[in-house]
Amino acid sequence: MAQPIFPIALCALLLLSACSPPPKISRQTHPLPAGVDTARSEIGRSGGVFIDSSPGEPSTFNPLVSEDATSGGFIGLFLDSLVHNNAVTQEVEPGLAARWDIAPDNRTFTFHLRPGVLWSDGHPFSADDVLFTFQAIYDPRFPNRAAFDLSVDGQKFKVEKIDDLTVRLTTPQIYAPFLETVGGVGLLPKHELEPAFRDGTLLKSWNVSVAQKEPQRLLATGAFRLRSYQPAERIVFEANPHYWRADAQGVRLPYVDFLVTKLVKDANASTLAFATGQTDAEGLSPDNVAWIDRYASRYGFSVFNRGPSPNTGFIWFNQNPGHDTAGKPFVTPYKLAWFTDRRFRQAISHGIDRQGLVRGVLFGRGQPLWGPETPANKKWYNPNVTQYPFDPARSRALLAEAGFQIGPDQKLHDRHGNLVEFTLNSNQENQLRVNMATAFKENMRDLGITVNLSFLDFGTLVGKIQDSYDYEAGMLGLTGGGDPAGGISVFSSKGRLHQWYPNQKTPATPWEARIDQLMSDQLHTLDYPTRKKYFDEVQKIMSDESPYIYLVTANAYVGLKDRWKNIRIPPLGSLVWNLDELWTPLLTP
Amino acid sequence: MIPFILRRLTTLVPMLLAVTLLVFILMSLAPGDFLTPVKAQRDINPALIAELQKSFGLDRPWYQQYALWLGNVLHLDFGYSWTYKVPVAQLIAQRAPATILLSVTSLLLAWTLAIPLAVLAAARPGGWIDRLTSAAAYFALAIPEFFLALLAVWMAARTGWFPIGGLTSLDHDFLSPAAQFLDIAHHLILPTLVLGLGGVAGTLRVLRANVLDVLQAEYITAARAKGLSEKVVLFRHVLRNALNPLLSTIGYAFAGLLSGSLLVENVMNYPGLGRLVYEAFIREDQFVVLGSVVVACSLLIVGNLLSDLALAWSDPRVRYGR
Repeated sequence: MAQPIFPIALCALLLLSACSPPPKISRQTHPLPAGVDTARSEIGRSGGVFIDSSPGEPSTFNPLVSEDATSGGFIGLFLDSLVHNNAVTQEVEPGLAARWDIAPDNRTFTFHLRPGVLWSDGHPFSADDVLFTFQAIYDPRFPNRAAFDLSVDGQKFKVEKIDDLTVRLTTPQIYAPFLETVGGVGLLPKHELEPAFRDGTLLKSWNVSVAQKEPQRLLATGAFRLRSYQPAERIVFEANPHYWRADAQGVRLPYVDFLVTKLVKDANASTLAFATGQTDAEGLSPDNVAWIDRYASRYGFSVFNRGPSPNTGFIWFNQNPGHDTAGKPFVTPYKLAWFTDRRFRQAISHGIDRQGLVRGVLFGRGQPLWGPETPANKKWYNPNVTQYPFDPARSRALLAEAGFQIGPDQKLHDRHGNLVEFTLNSNQENQLRVNMATAFKENMRDLGITVNLSFLDFGTLVGKIQDSYDYEAGMLGLTGGGDPAGGISVFSSKGRLHQWYPNQKTPATPWEARIDQLMSDQLHTLDYPTRKKYFDEVQKIMSDESPYIYLVTANAYVGLKDRWKNIRIPPLGSLVWNLDELWTPLLTP
Repeated sequence: MIPFILRRLTTLVPMLLAVTLLVFILMSLAPGDFLTPVKAQRDINPALIAELQKSFGLDRPWYQQYALWLGNVLHLDFGYSWTYKVPVAQLIAQRAPATILLSVTSLLLAWTLAIPLAVLAAARPGGWIDRLTSAAAYFALAIPEFFLALLAVWMAARTGWFPIGGLTSLDHDFLSPAAQFLDIAHHLILPTLVLGLGGVAGTLRVLRANVLDVLQAEYITAARAKGLSEKVVLFRHVLRNALNPLLSTIGYAFAGLLSGSLLVENVMNYPGLGRLVYEAFIREDQFVVLGSVVVACSLLIVGNLLSDLALAWSDPRVRYGR
C-alpha cells in the first residue's frame, strides 16, 4: 500500500479526482405496468444522489430474520407489501394490491394485485409470491416475528389464491389491525427463494454476506434495489427500473438515481457530518438543534420540527406481590403497601416539575406527558386524560390522606413510622434519562422522600424488571405510536411488559381487569370510532391510576438539505416518507 | 526445525481451551444475553423469545453450551453469528482484510521511520538528532492511541484535508481503479499515523539501545580499523546485529496491532475486525466473540513462531532442533 510520505501530493491528486461529476446512469426504460400507480405529487426531474447516514448496521436483508428497526428500514426500501401504512396520514394505502374488498363478515379480505408488475429481474409478480410468503412465514422450520403478528390466539390466517392476480385472506376471528399488519409484510419472490425454502435454509438466505457479494439476488418490488453493501461503510441503493409508480407525465419513479446510506456508528460523528454538509438528511436530538441551526445557511439546509416524538418516558413502582424461590418477597411488604396505593402514586406525579424537566433537560424542546400515547400518534392519542400539574401542596394533601406524615426529622414517614425511601433504577447509557432521574430526586426531596438513584447496564436492568423482579422503582422509556394492538404486551395484565406487575394469571385489580377487557374488545372490531373509544378509555385509566408515572416527551427534529423538493416528513418513523417522489433541481450537492 | 514448529503449534491447543473457557464463563456471568434487547421491545411475542432462546441454546447451562461449541469446533465449525446469521469464519474473513491492511501499513511505517532514525540517533549519542527523536518518542509513547485518534478526527474535521473516518469515499463505487486506489490511500493516512506512531517510538527506543550496544563491540572497532566508511559500518555491520532482538518482538507487535486497532477502528469509524468484535461484545453475540478470541490467540502464537523463525534465519548462531 502507498506510504503516506507525500500526503500533500496525494491530497492534491485526490481533490482532482473528487471533482469529477457524479455518474450519470442510463436508466433502462421498461414499459410501465398496466396497473401503474400515478403519484399525485408535483412533477420533478430524474437524477441525483440522496445521502443519509445510519447509526446501526443492518443485521440481515431477510425480512423473516429481521427483528430490529434498522434492518426493517432497509428491507422496506426494496421489498414492497400488499398495502402501505402511510406514516403521514396514518391511513392504509394501496401497495402491490391496487384495491381490496372486505366481506360483510369482517374477516375475509380479497386483494386485487396490480397487473403487469415485475420483480427487478423482470420476472412477473403474482399471487404465487403472496402465497409463498405466507407459507414461509407460517412454516415452523423458520421461527420468525411475523408468524406471531399474523395470527390470532395462535390460529393462522387462511390464504387462498383465487387467480393469478387475486388473493383472499381470512382471519379466524375479527382482527382489527389486520391491514396494518399486512402492510408490514414484505412479499418474497417465489422464483428466487423457493430452493432455499425447500432445503430449509431460508433463514440463511439474503444475509449480509449475500448482500455484499451478490446484491442483484435481492430482488425488489420497491422503489429501490440494492446496488452494493460495504459492511461498516455504506449501503448503496439504486432506482428499481421496474418500479410500479410513475408521475402524472408517465415518468417512472423514483426520481433519484441513488440512495447512499453511510454507516456511522457514533451519533456525534453523523450529526457532525450533516452539520458540515456531507449528508442530505439527519434525525436530530433536541440538544443539538441550536448549534446545528447556525450552519444552516452556509451549507443550505433547514431544520424541521416534527413535533412530539412517539417516545414516552416514565417512572413506575414494582407492584409485584410475589416472592422469590427462597420465599423472600420481591418488594418489602410495607413498601408494597405504598406502591399499590393509588394516592401515593398520584402524589408522586403531582410532585414532579415536568415543565422544569422540559426546560432543564430538553432545552424547552418537548412537552409534559400525561398518558401512554404522545400527540405524535394523531390517530389514537387521547388529549383528555387526567393531568398532574406540578403542585407540591396537592401532593402533601394526598400523602396525608393516605396516612403519610412529615416526622420531626423533616422526612416523610408512613402510618407505621417507616421512613419513605426507595431506589430508582435506570440505565446508564441514556444521558437524558440520567438527567431526568437526578431532577426527579430533587423534586422528591422537597416532599421529604428520599430517592436513591441506581444506574445500571441495560442488560442488568432488563434482567431485574423481567426476570428477578428484585427492585423498587424503575425509569425507562417505550416507543409508542402505531396501532393500539402493538401495546397489548404493556397494557394487558398478562403482558410481558406490564412492568409494574408482569405476567399476571388473573388481573390483580378491577381497573387492570377493565383494561384487559377493553384491549380485547378493541382487537375484535374493525370500526375505527369504536376502537378509538375503547383505547381512549385505556389511556384515561392509565393516567387515573398512574401505574406508570409519565414524564415528558421530547420533540423530534429532522435536518434536510434545501435542494430537495416534494418532501413529506412524517411525525414518526423514517425521516422522509416519500423517498420515491423526492427530486432536486440541483444535481451536484 | 519441523518438530520445533509442530511443538510450538501444539501449545496452541491447551491455550485456546483455557482462553475460550474463560471467555465463556465471563460471558455467562455478565448480565443479560443476546436476547435482552429483543425482550425490551414491546411488540414481540413471548413465544417467539422462547423459541429463539431454544434455537440459540441459551436455555441451557453455560457448560453445556460450551461443550456443544467445542464439539462443533472439532468439526471446524465455529458457529454462526446470531446477529447476522452468517458463519463466524465468513464474517471474520469479510472484515479481516481491512484490519490486516491497516496493520501492515502501520507496521511498515513504524519500521521504515524507526530504523534509520535509531541508527542516526545512536551514531551520535547526545547529538541533536538523538535529542530530538528521544523527545518525540517520549511524547508519542505518552499519548494514548484512542486520544491520538480523537485528535486526528478533530483535525480532519477542522481542516478538511483528510476524510473523517472510513476506508472509502461515498462515490468510491463510481471511481476508476486508479482513483479508487488513491481514495483508499487517502483514507489510510490518518489511521496509519495514529496506529503506527506508538510503534515508531517503541521501536526507535529499543533499536537505539541495541545499536549503542553493538557499537561497543570489538568487531566494529575492527571494521573501522579496516578503513570501512562509517556508512557501511553503521548500516551493514551494526544494524544487522542490532536488529536481532527486534525480530523477536515482531510477533508481539503484530498481535498488539490487532488489539490496538480495536480502539482506533471504533473511534475512526474504520470498517475492520475491531468494530465487528466490539459490537459483538456489546451485543453478546457469543460465537463471534469466541471466534475473534481464537483468531487473536492464534495470531499471537503464530506471530511469535514467525519471529523465532526469522531470528534463526537472520542469526546463524540460533538453532532450533531436538
